[in-house]
Amino acid sequence: MSAVANDIQKLREELRDRGATVRSPELAPAERVARVKEVFARRLDANMATYLETCLHCGMCAEVCHFYEATGEGKYTPIYKVEPLRRFYRRELAPMGWLRKLVMRDITPADLDEWQKLVYDACTQCGRCDMICPMGIHISPMIGVMREAIAEAGLQPAENKALAREVLEKGTLMGIGPADYRRVAAELAAQGIDVPLDKPKASVVMLMSAMDAMLFKSAIAATAKIMNRLGLDWTIRTNAGDAAMFDWTSGDERAKAAAIRKVVAETIAAGAKTLIVPECGHGFAALRWDGANVVGAELPFEVMAISEFVGREIEAGRLKVKPLPAGKSVTYHDPCKVGRWSGVFEEPRNALKAIGVEIREMESHAKTNYCCGGGGGVVLNERANKLRAGAFHIKMREADATGAGSVVTACGHCRMTFIAGAQHANWQKPIESLVELVAANLA
Amino acid sequence: MTLLEFARGPGMQWALVIFLVGVVWRLVGSFLIARRRDLSKPKGTAYVKAGARSMIMRSIPPHELEKNIQFQHLTGYAWHLGFFATLLLFGPHVPFFQQFLGFGWPTLPNVVVLVIGGFTLAILIALVIRRIIHPVMRQISTLDDWIAVSLVIIPLVTGFLSYAHVGVFGARYETMLALHILSIEALLVWFPFSKLMHLFYTFPSRYKIGVSMERRGVKA
Repeated sequence: MSAVANDIQKLREELRDRGATVRSPELAPAERVARVKEVFARRLDANMATYLETCLHCGMCAEVCHFYEATGEGKYTPIYKVEPLRRFYRRELAPMGWLRKLVMRDITPADLDEWQKLVYDACTQCGRCDMICPMGIHISPMIGVMREAIAEAGLQPAENKALAREVLEKGTLMGIGPADYRRVAAELAAQGIDVPLDKPKASVVMLMSAMDAMLFKSAIAATAKIMNRLGLDWTIRTNAGDAAMFDWTSGDERAKAAAIRKVVAETIAAGAKTLIVPECGHGFAALRWDGANVVGAELPFEVMAISEFVGREIEAGRLKVKPLPAGKSVTYHDPCKVGRWSGVFEEPRNALKAIGVEIREMESHAKTNYCCGGGGGVVLNERANKLRAGAFHIKMREADATGAGSVVTACGHCRMTFIAGAQHANWQKPIESLVELVAANLA
Repeated sequence: MTLLEFARGPGMQWALVIFLVGVVWRLVGSFLIARRRDLSKPKGTAYVKAGARSMIMRSIPPHELEKNIQFQHLTGYAWHLGFFATLLLFGPHVPFFQQFLGFGWPTLPNVVVLVIGGFTLAILIALVIRRIIHPVMRQISTLDDWIAVSLVIIPLVTGFLSYAHVGVFGARYETMLALHILSIEALLVWFPFSKLMHLFYTFPSRYKIGVSMERRGVKA
């Protein structure tokens, strides 16, 4: 586990250094503010207007945010993280805006510097705050708008700049591309695991993730074993790009759209009815909820997370598993983008029950689950190391309180955060992948 | 025209006009902002049920979330209930509503309402102190928060003084009553420009998040 944690730290440093060399156009401070406002004007809709009208400044959202809980600093209040968006709405879009302009100051370049730290370092868009707001304010999508606006102003962290630039210019992610997918497939073939690449037609298209290719090849092997056991007509299209979709978290809409379009085009070209996203929360949420909106039409295929797919196949009796000997207990960590963002709660738990493990739930689980602290790209943001460690302690405490033998999750991003966090905190709890656990127990 | 006559006559009429026009203007203006069509395939489609559920269930959060906000939650409920009980169930208030509506309703004994009003005032003062000292509240408070809470407190204070016939700075009962009515009018005038509008936005907002979450297959 410590080797993986070291790899993650190296990855952070490499991204930081590469990001430092990314040349963004030199923008005048006023131009940055103008760009931010353009994004706000384009993205604000009727729902956000209602949310921004109704905030009472009660501060309850802070009390469920791991970053506020870990630091006690008021600036980490979730609704405060969208203050520039609220300011823009109130002054320039809302009814009575002309009146508010008399008493409410405009967004300043200094605001952008302050808020880029708040939305990139201190928010994982986990959406836990969305669950408590007594006014029903949906905060996490507004954080997405904030990130997009900050990125448009060229102020996102170096790591995010590097990721977005790479996706746009090279089509790879963290240096991983088609040649690496082929290399991994060949390695697995040598182990007797067939990973069918680039079949012209297939009923299921599966994606590969750069994180898995670099850190968790065992997850790719496990996924392939399950797909093969089911006898599915499946393939990985090497030109589809990566499942990891860190660009979704970077705020760079062009990079996100480019990545999504590639996946959609390849899935359609394969004539697939199902697109399965491996253990990657962001990739799944990006394709599941933004895919159709990016291409401007409903998708002619279903998008599923691997944990959702495996759970359903087990429930339907198509995937047979053998129960483990009694005595193994686990706690399941719901990846925010798979759980709270996409409603996948039962399927992974049913898969775990089928293999006979005892699930000991954390106090906050399923829709109220605490984020691992690394979502939204925060795991790769070196500047956020301290904040992330604070948030991870909360997660650790809840997991420890269950007394479970290990933590199981279904997202490589969470897995990275857990492994790096565990090393930092000298925490001995094993971190397991749902798909690997299932694949190891196929009947 | 005395101050009391102004407060009861043109003052109240203008306050109500500003309140009604302002509320309609703000609601219509914000609801007219463009909607975005979501092309993703929804996971759940029982939108009305989900929206209605959120409208109710947002008042009763799950324990693991609620445990950190019990104070705000309970005091929030308590002062709202106390304020509306004082406004609507106090004997001397009902004839005021009756002249507009043409009908009245039973009231609580004055002493009960005075206790409720005192309790409400105490909670509001505690919440003001919390807003001053709590790091989150200090960070997120705006001028509107201070004005709004002041405009809720002042009618309670002037109401007590009027009822007790206590004149501040030697003011007569009629002057105190006029100030009480004027303080309500100030609340009505400020209402459409402020966060007090949550009276009208809370349930649409709760409905919207319920629908958004239903699309994702999450009960929220």
